Amino acid sequence: MTATRDIHIHVPVLTRVEGEGALELDVVNGEIERLNLRIFEPPRLFEKFVEGYECDQVIDMVARICGICPVAYQMSAVQAFERLFGFEPPDWLVAMRRVMYCGEWLQSHALHIHLLAAPDFLGFDSAIAMARDYPDAVKRGLNLQTLGNDLIGLFGGRSVHPVGVRVGGFYRAPREEDVAPILQRLRDALPATEALVDWTAGLEFPHDEQAFISVALSHPQEYAIGQGNLISGQGLETDISFFDSFFQEHQSPHSTALHATLDGRPYLTGPLARLNLNFHQLPKPVRQVMEGCGIHFPSHNMFHSIVARAIELHFAVFEAIRLLENYEVPQASYTVVTPQEGNAFGCTEAPRGFLWHRYDVDEKGIVRYARIVPPTSQNQGRIEEDIRQSLEKLGLDSPDEAIRLRAEQVIRNYDPCISCATHFLKLKLNRR
Amino acid sequence: MIRVIGVGSPFGADRLAWLAVDHLSTLQLSECELIKLDRPGSQLLNYFREVLKVILIDAVALDETPGGASLLAPVDLQQISVSTSSHGFGVAQTLALGTQLGQMPPDFHLIGIHTGIALSELPSLDVEALERLVLPLI
Repeated sequence: MTATRDIHIHVPVLTRVEGEGALELDVVNGEIERLNLRIFEPPRLFEKFVEGYECDQVIDMVARICGICPVAYQMSAVQAFERLFGFEPPDWLVAMRRVMYCGEWLQSHALHIHLLAAPDFLGFDSAIAMARDYPDAVKRGLNLQTLGNDLIGLFGGRSVHPVGVRVGGFYRAPREEDVAPILQRLRDALPATEALVDWTAGLEFPHDEQAFISVALSHPQEYAIGQGNLISGQGLETDISFFDSFFQEHQSPHSTALHATLDGRPYLTGPLARLNLNFHQLPKPVRQVMEGCGIHFPSHNMFHSIVARAIELHFAVFEAIRLLENYEVPQASYTVVTPQEGNAFGCTEAPRGFLWHRYDVDEKGIVRYARIVPPTSQNQGRIEEDIRQSLEKLGLDSPDEAIRLRAEQVIRNYDPCISCATHFLKLKLNRR
Repeated sequence: MIRVIGVGSPFGADRLAWLAVDHLSTLQLSECELIKLDRPGSQLLNYFREVLKVILIDAVALDETPGGASLLAPVDLQQISVSTSSHGFGVAQTLALGTQLGQMPPDFHLIGIHTGIALSELPSLDVEALERLVLPLI
């Protein structure tokens, strides 16, 4: 009989995630007694900040919530306002917003794959250490991230906290001479993104199949990014305005972020959930790359999320090329839209999962109430459930260090974006 | 051409490097490109391309006279910083990555502006100390 021991693992600060979080794990008599993903970063109160501001001001304000996925915040907000105001975006606008969103998927996925997740799979404690043995892979990640940022900047004026999106369109349309060089860079990058799928699929994955609910947007005509209904692998399909009828948010003492459940159960949102539910809608060439990589989707192994991200990254480049190939500057880059009073709902697929917004707007177009449900808070319950199952599968009699590393890797599979933080450096000063 | 880069954010003393660049812009320095960046993360390396000399200015949490300046080596920035931007890729990590990848500029200088203890407060920039360090490098 194997002797059991008590384990108390405290990861005081999670690394290679955005924001401030920690993990507390107590194993007593061979069983997990306490497992808390602690998010201790103070609430940022953005939902109160935006009250009293005009819709277009709010679109720029919510971009400030995240330096990695500002486009997602802008797109969920603008979609909400336009739905309320009865504005149907023309085809050009739908396509170009999708291109801008592809830029965000590209930069965010490239960052996560190469700098955050890959070191776990290759046995390094950081991308810096990994760069010694895999310099080309790290350079590929940095280059793809730059390309994604530049694609965002094409429409938003800048990649971090862009300012180009407004109700009714863009403040200005990119010039054809600015689009052409980025289009060429996208074409040049396509083979590298295809190779990236194989590279991630060639990593060594733990066998860790788990039962979980995938939730994502779904749209009949496309692999959903910026529009659609919410669907689940268990048969849910609903308009985004009925989010509250199916999803519940609740507080936990150990976290400043709200947990979310679907009919009382944790669920997954993000690239793996999207791929599990919508993979058949990928363009044929992308699907062929996916089907040829040796990993089969739908997958219920969360470690395959790095492959899912690579497939979506490849798709983002493919899609941006398709949509920009016949680019023309429209007669007008936006339509003036008259505000209306009511409740506005928006939902789009941020790189790490669906991002749901609600705004109550008065007759002058002033936001009086806001509610934002980001993907990381939705995934919290699933992450905790996953760590528990994954560690039990690993074996709670494993060395403490192995348990800690596995738990951290599981968390990073979700690419949690706890929030942006300022960047003061702790300094050990050696004067010269 | 010399590229002078100030890295910061709008929050409290983290604006110090931006103030430093703003001050340098009043000096009409020739052959200098002045850039202010908001938490660029690993993308900072893009600004090291196609230039021989880079002077990077960053606010550092150092309990010295607030607003003062020090010439640092990249290794002075410990890689244990927890309050970093862009998924943990702050300036220290990015410089370490750039060194590992051979993407540092041939002539690189790092200047830290002291925040003092109260990070939420913006101290006055010691412009004379800044000029004493920067001008001999240009």
